[in-house]
Amino acid sequence: MTTEIVVAQRPTHGEPRPYQFPRFEREELDNGLGLITVDLPGRALVTASLVLPSGAVDEPDELGGVTSLMARALTEGTARRDAIELTEASERLGASLHAEAGWDGLSISIEVPAERLSAALELAAEVAIEPSFPAAEVDRMRDERMNDLLQAKADPRRRADDAFVETIYAPGSTYGRPSAGTEATVPSLDADACRVIHGRRFDPAKMTLIVGGDLDAVGEDIRAIVESRFGAWARNPAAEPPGDPRTKPARDERIVRVIHRPGSVQTEIRVGHLGVRRKIPDFHAVSVMSAILGGLFNSRLNRKLREEKGYTYGAGAGYDLRRGVGPFAVRAAVNTEVTVPAVQDILAELEAMRAAPPSTAELHAARDFLVGVFPLRFETPPAVVGALAGLLIHELPLDELDRYRPAIEAVSDADVQRSASEHIEPEKLAVVLVGDADAILPALEGAEIGPIVVEREELPGQEPGPGAADAA
Amino acid sequence: MPVPKVDFSQSRLPNGLRLIISEDHLAPVAAVNVWYNVGSKHEVAGKTGFAHLFEHVMFQGSAHVGKAEHIALVQAAGGTMNGTTWLDRTNYFETMPSHQLALALWLEADRMGTLLDALSQENLDNQREVVKNEKRWSYDNRPYGSWVEKMLGAIYPDGHPYHHPTIGSMDDLDAASVEDVSDFFRLHYAPNNAVLSVVGDVEPVQVRAWVEEFFGRIPANPNLPVALPDMSLPARIGSEIREIVPDRVPLPRIHWGFRGPLFGDHRLDALDLAGQILAGGKGSRLHRRLVREERLAQDVALFSMGLVAGASVTAGWATARPGVDLVQLETVFWEELEKISRELVSDDELERAKALTEADELGALQSVHEKADRLSMYATLFDNPGMINDILPRYLSTTAEEIREVCADVFRADNRVVMTYLPAVAEAAGEAAA
Repeated sequence: MTTEIVVAQRPTHGEPRPYQFPRFEREELDNGLGLITVDLPGRALVTASLVLPSGAVDEPDELGGVTSLMARALTEGTARRDAIELTEASERLGASLHAEAGWDGLSISIEVPAERLSAALELAAEVAIEPSFPAAEVDRMRDERMNDLLQAKADPRRRADDAFVETIYAPGSTYGRPSAGTEATVPSLDADACRVIHGRRFDPAKMTLIVGGDLDAVGEDIRAIVESRFGAWARNPAAEPPGDPRTKPARDERIVRVIHRPGSVQTEIRVGHLGVRRKIPDFHAVSVMSAILGGLFNSRLNRKLREEKGYTYGAGAGYDLRRGVGPFAVRAAVNTEVTVPAVQDILAELEAMRAAPPSTAELHAARDFLVGVFPLRFETPPAVVGALAGLLIHELPLDELDRYRPAIEAVSDADVQRSASEHIEPEKLAVVLVGDADAILPALEGAEIGPIVVEREELPGQEPGPGAADAA
Repeated sequence: MPVPKVDFSQSRLPNGLRLIISEDHLAPVAAVNVWYNVGSKHEVAGKTGFAHLFEHVMFQGSAHVGKAEHIALVQAAGGTMNGTTWLDRTNYFETMPSHQLALALWLEADRMGTLLDALSQENLDNQREVVKNEKRWSYDNRPYGSWVEKMLGAIYPDGHPYHHPTIGSMDDLDAASVEDVSDFFRLHYAPNNAVLSVVGDVEPVQVRAWVEEFFGRIPANPNLPVALPDMSLPARIGSEIREIVPDRVPLPRIHWGFRGPLFGDHRLDALDLAGQILAGGKGSRLHRRLVREERLAQDVALFSMGLVAGASVTAGWATARPGVDLVQLETVFWEELEKISRELVSDDELERAKALTEADELGALQSVHEKADRLSMYATLFDNPGMINDILPRYLSTTAEEIREVCADVFRADNRVVMTYLPAVAEAAGEAAA
């Protein structure tokens, strides 16, 4: 007997230390630039992020990927310095300067030891205000993106993600392609296109600089630093406000799309459909519901597919919450032989989520986790600044983070079932499988999940040769 | 900006458990971090993959905790947790809201003391399947996914404890019985083979009381430490090893590997700085030449994975752009390694590399988890948790000559593995493209 060597009784917890999301102040420069400062005592590596609440959503279809390319090209040179001089200047400060765009937002961020914030913001301002978009560097980055698309096709995970959004969104929808563009759009992108989109989007009056960290350690007044770096930046009356994402489902019925990867030892599974916007009234119920379905380690999907069946290293599900209607997806990679039973288990769990309210234990597990983990999420400046950027990008009220925990605690079992019934639509599910079609198809055809489409495309990396006949 | 010193206290329970405590009250969070001095190097022939298998089995329950309940309890308390396996060690850790610290300590104690009470054939079979799917996902069904396994196989001779990867052999896992797995646990997972670090918003007197209460009666294993085979190796491989690897990839990639200085040896600090100067970001030498100027490569990397016996792994790669002459790509990569072995890096390059290292350190030590993990690491591998405060000064004291010297020792033709991944037809992966 080993049991007496440990204490059988689980310890009870202590009194929680009061916690609130760090206080922040919002002000505005004369040119309309927003400034949010959040003091995080003791955090001497400061994060500053210049946020534009507009991303790939706002680019024309035929220029798909231009916002992402423009953002990455911002650090390729300015009116005063080329890319190498910029990088070296930033490295001398011990700073990492980074610009990127996603679907709904663009940010220029710098992490730097507090006492060098002023010098770092000089670089960030230069990159934002006076980017030079050197043609040769933009062309190089465009070619690198094309090569990256080749790599994406060969990687089963990325292939499945890309095929999934392409399957669920109607042509012409925002979000139906990778935000950094496709083989069809990227070749036409160049420095001029970057310049045009920069001119159309960047405007101090539409942007906010968020600074988080130990502000006392900066040693100077933050507002004064920001005035000196960004104060002379002229408003851009030509800048367009963010538009509305256009999202339409590709179909109203099920589809099963199989992308053949001969000899694949696993099948990458995606099951889902269009989800919901970030800004919906039942956001908190959706958060609890998706934690129960596929967010927690002991979510229904992971418990079933991993801990009961051993089909996968991990199964999860979630809503990608964006300004427009982002995707809802269940994701798992399973060994080829169990592909169809795994898909059937996923479909059954999605039905079950709608059919009955969660158990009390499940409801508490999800709520307690989301509420309890809240302080852990904001231990460091990048996380705090990122959360504030999210408020701006989604046009959420500034007290949204203070309301988060009470709102999660108030979610009931009925709320969870209601959000499942509303936001999971079994008859509209798309099932995307990247795996060995020959191994999967016999069982898949018998399972009657929905109409099956099989694609036996030439995968990159497969040169014609012995065995290519099978893939043709 | 001076990087703040990490203050800590340490003590040892009568059963050998080493306890390290460090207070940090900035956030209401606490990290619990257990390092077991068992890694894949402790596995014997025919029983590989066991240390990693425990990363799964350790979540299957113990005397007072049900299957998967460890994670359920941690998550319901608002905590996060995980475990990782490496050649030299395994670690298990939780980050908790600080008022839930006792729960994490108790959970670690319960599995250290009573894991085998809950180990069943059913759980073992289930987690074996999960691990096989982890291998398929992380290695087999991933472009270039075999490189770590191949690199370890080439750098360390057959039979050396670092020769096989942590995931181990699936045949060995299939052959593993509950008794085999239990024996491995009884040998290695004892308080006198573990370091427990507790960092964050904690009260040391209270922490010590809980640790004594929860861990104090778990018996030590008198058969520890385990004698490892002689792991010493010649500093260099001896002759170049070249391999062509046909894989399901669209772009060729060349992987390089070298025997490097041991973790803890100051020469490895110098080699880390060389890695930063050669391939750390877009101002670095290899990135500038291969990606930016000559446009031969899509990406480059060069870094070391520190190990404590025999030799570390220094590894690099460059992914070729389509249509690029691989001979030219390899030539340019090698020219830069030869140059840094021959000529001193500039003062500016060295200062930039040090400034970035210092900022990285400042950022890393903002996380209670990272602090706890490092304290456990230095205590386990070097019997010296205070190294957490020594590492940065060591980096900052490194000279250009030390960098040149270590590069000249490591980047040699008789110390390199060159593995070239080439696009190949799936079904004919064995013979095509070779």
